[in-house]
Amino acid sequence: MSIYEVFVQKDHTTPHVWVGSVVAGEPDDALVMARENFLRRETAVSIWVVLQADVHRTSYADKEFFARESSKEYRMLSAYNKTNAEKWRKYKRNLLDLEKDFVKD
Amino acid sequence: MTDQERLAEFMARIERGEKIEASDWMPDEYRITLIKFMQMHALSEVMGAFPEKEWVPKAPTLARKLSLMAKVQDEVGHGQLILRVAEDLAAPLGKTRDDLIQELFTGQCKFHNVFHMPVPTWADCGVIGWLVDGAAVVSQAALLDSSYGPYARVLQRVCAEEGFHIQHGESICLALAEGTAAQRQMLQDALHRWWEPLLLFFGPAETTSASATILMKYRFRTKTNEELRQKFFAKYVPRVWSLGLTLPDPHLHFDEAEDRWTYTSPDWSKLKAIAKNAGPLSQYRLGLRQVSYEEAAWVREALSGRGGAQYVHL
Repeated sequence: MSIYEVFVQKDHTTPHVWVGSVVAGEPDDALVMARENFLRRETAVSIWVVLQADVHRTSYADKEFFARESSKEYRMLSAYNKTNAEKWRKYKRNLLDLEKDFVKD
Repeated sequence: MTDQERLAEFMARIERGEKIEASDWMPDEYRITLIKFMQMHALSEVMGAFPEKEWVPKAPTLARKLSLMAKVQDEVGHGQLILRVAEDLAAPLGKTRDDLIQELFTGQCKFHNVFHMPVPTWADCGVIGWLVDGAAVVSQAALLDSSYGPYARVLQRVCAEEGFHIQHGESICLALAEGTAAQRQMLQDALHRWWEPLLLFFGPAETTSASATILMKYRFRTKTNEELRQKFFAKYVPRVWSLGLTLPDPHLHFDEAEDRWTYTSPDWSKLKAIAKNAGPLSQYRLGLRQVSYEEAAWVREALSGRGGAQYVHL
């Protein structure tokens, strides 16, 4: 028997998300176990099962790996949108919003 | 690093509210106490299927049968999910899932008191969903912020499904409460039968046991038995009374001055007897579990891929 990590994709617009693990002798059985354990109600379009032994992982203790040498603020929307919005106000214009003005409009 | 230093660092992490993961270093008493707690939780979920499954063939309508079947299946599913978490923690000790399961039969692992009780009527089945699952959610929701990450994560799914169980139970009980005089009486009798087991479920107010102290120290638990029982009273007693139903305790009331519910203590000797598997149906239910575990051995064998037959990929 092996441990399989289970990833469920709810619909085609979202990524596979890890939900837990199951124990099974064969990958096909692991898929059935995963469906029975994690999808008794929710719908999904895809399940991945991956042998736990095949997952390469960082260690929770390895804080260095995720260390930030400097601020990443300059990569963030929040570093610009407030100042821009203030400036646009002078020209009686609203700041364009990705979701509202481009995606939904 | 010495074990002393590791322990100090571990405690500092706990105090900062960090989550512990299966592969992290942890003191033996944390590992061992958690395995025992999760093993009892997992196997209680499995044992919880037995009292209710008795009513699957006798459910009054097809709709009730379907929802009860779904609930029974969920309980076994919860057992699977929690055993998965427990066995990861037990593996470094050389203990397997099978070992954890077998300890139920030897009495080394207990199961919740409520599952040692008979379910004589359909109303009892409803009360289990409404109040026993209600009590279970009160205690499990208090563990959602547990210091052990894998358990806290799995509880999110368990609690969500318990939410369904409660509505399923309420639906049965509300139908009976609004039904004929005989149906109301059946519900009233069931409430009286389940009241004491429900009080026992949360355990004694003064918990001085070694494991309770360890679970608190490492913030696996943060609420006491009495805090949980009081929360249960606050949620459910007013609802029971609002249906015009009674509970078998003349002293039960909310004490405004003390800001807590006053109640008559249950007979704790009954909980002690149940802990020794000497409750009303302890042996009967354990017998059913043992038969089902043994009779399903061939399924586990077949699924393990050790059965000799070659698996053909199409």
